[in-house]
Amino acid sequence: MEIFAKLGIDWKLLLAQAVNFAILFFVLKRYAYQPMLDFLEERSKRIDQGIKDAEAAQEKLASIQEEEKQVLKAAREEGRALLAKAEEDAKKRALAREAEMEAKAGSILEEARRQIEEEKSKMLGEARSEVAALVALSVEKVLRESVDKKKDEAVIRNRA
Amino acid sequence: MEISIAAEKLFSLGALPITNAFLIGILVSALLMILGTRLAKNLSSVPKGLQNVVEVIFEALLDLVESVTQDKKQARQFFPLIATIFLFVLLSNWAGLLPGLGTVGLAHEHEGHATIIPFLRSTSADLNFTLALSLITVTTVQFTGIAALGAVRYAKKFLVSPFHKPYVIGTMVGVLELVSEIGKTISFTFRLFGNVFAGEVLLTVMLHLVPFLLPLPFLFLEVFVGFIQAVVFAMLTLVFLKMATVEMEH
Repeated sequence: MEIFAKLGIDWKLLLAQAVNFAILFFVLKRYAYQPMLDFLEERSKRIDQGIKDAEAAQEKLASIQEEEKQVLKAAREEGRALLAKAEEDAKKRALAREAEMEAKAGSILEEARRQIEEEKSKMLGEARSEVAALVALSVEKVLRESVDKKKDEAVIRNRA
Repeated sequence: MEISIAAEKLFSLGALPITNAFLIGILVSALLMILGTRLAKNLSSVPKGLQNVVEVIFEALLDLVESVTQDKKQARQFFPLIATIFLFVLLSNWAGLLPGLGTVGLAHEHEGHATIIPFLRSTSADLNFTLALSLITVTTVQFTGIAALGAVRYAKKFLVSPFHKPYVIGTMVGVLELVSEIGKTISFTFRLFGNVFAGEVLLTVMLHLVPFLLPLPFLFLEVFVGFIQAVVFAMLTLVFLKMATVEMEH
């Protein structure tokens, strides 16, 4: 085949080039492409996983925040209710105490009045009896004196 | 200045003549193997430097292969051949553009003129390489087709019974398909060889006409052509591979 020779085709070189390419192909396939593609795939998987994880985390965070809001809201409501109840209680208690105090004050007043009354009546009794004694005494004194004056006058006249 | 279609022989290794194109082929292969294995060994999840570049190329290439095959598994199956063809053809095309093309070489006496045998000649500017690569590609295509469809169903692409629906037309189309498989080999061979060889001749001629500045646009052009030819060879291989795995529709 003269045309092959003219074109520079030499079966030995052809074979050598083919072998060269085959070696290159198998070496690259085994030692470069496979690890490389595995690596790229692995990494893209990892990146996918990472994105998924991040999304899940975000979702979880959102739900937690929502929950937190709910809990806070509930706590606030409860606090408000508690406060209201405490206020009411305090009011009630204050009212009760006021009433009690009033009642106590009333009873103390009554007692005081009663004591005063008692004291007064006692004092009046005492005063009456004392006055009576005094009157009796003074009457007695006056009477004795008058008797004695006559006697005295008689005595004096007798002497005189 | 001497232009030879055949790659020039530098020396012989036993019975094997070592041509400048074959030498470049070996050097490019060695470079690719060393770079490839070293990179693959030291992969880090945060890419740096060369790994970045290679990753970009790989991912673009893998996307391309996937877009043609529409199948992740098949893409991984085809990828090594496509990538090797692309990288090797690209680098060997560009190797022929390095300074010293056609000017640095062994002293040589040719028909009374003192001339030189250049050390640098793109591997793709040698029919031995392009023919070898085409043969490998077309053979791989056949085997891929047989592996995917089974020998009988694959053979039915080429041998169509004349007693069924499209009758003789189907048979003729089958024969044409068979011829086109041979045609693929020849077109693969001469497309790559023609483009790269023509580029080298063009550059050599320009260099001899006006040594400065004028060859520059052509140099850029050839960088582009080298890339395009690598893409074309790889893409056609990919398409043929995919076509071989798909059954003909009747």
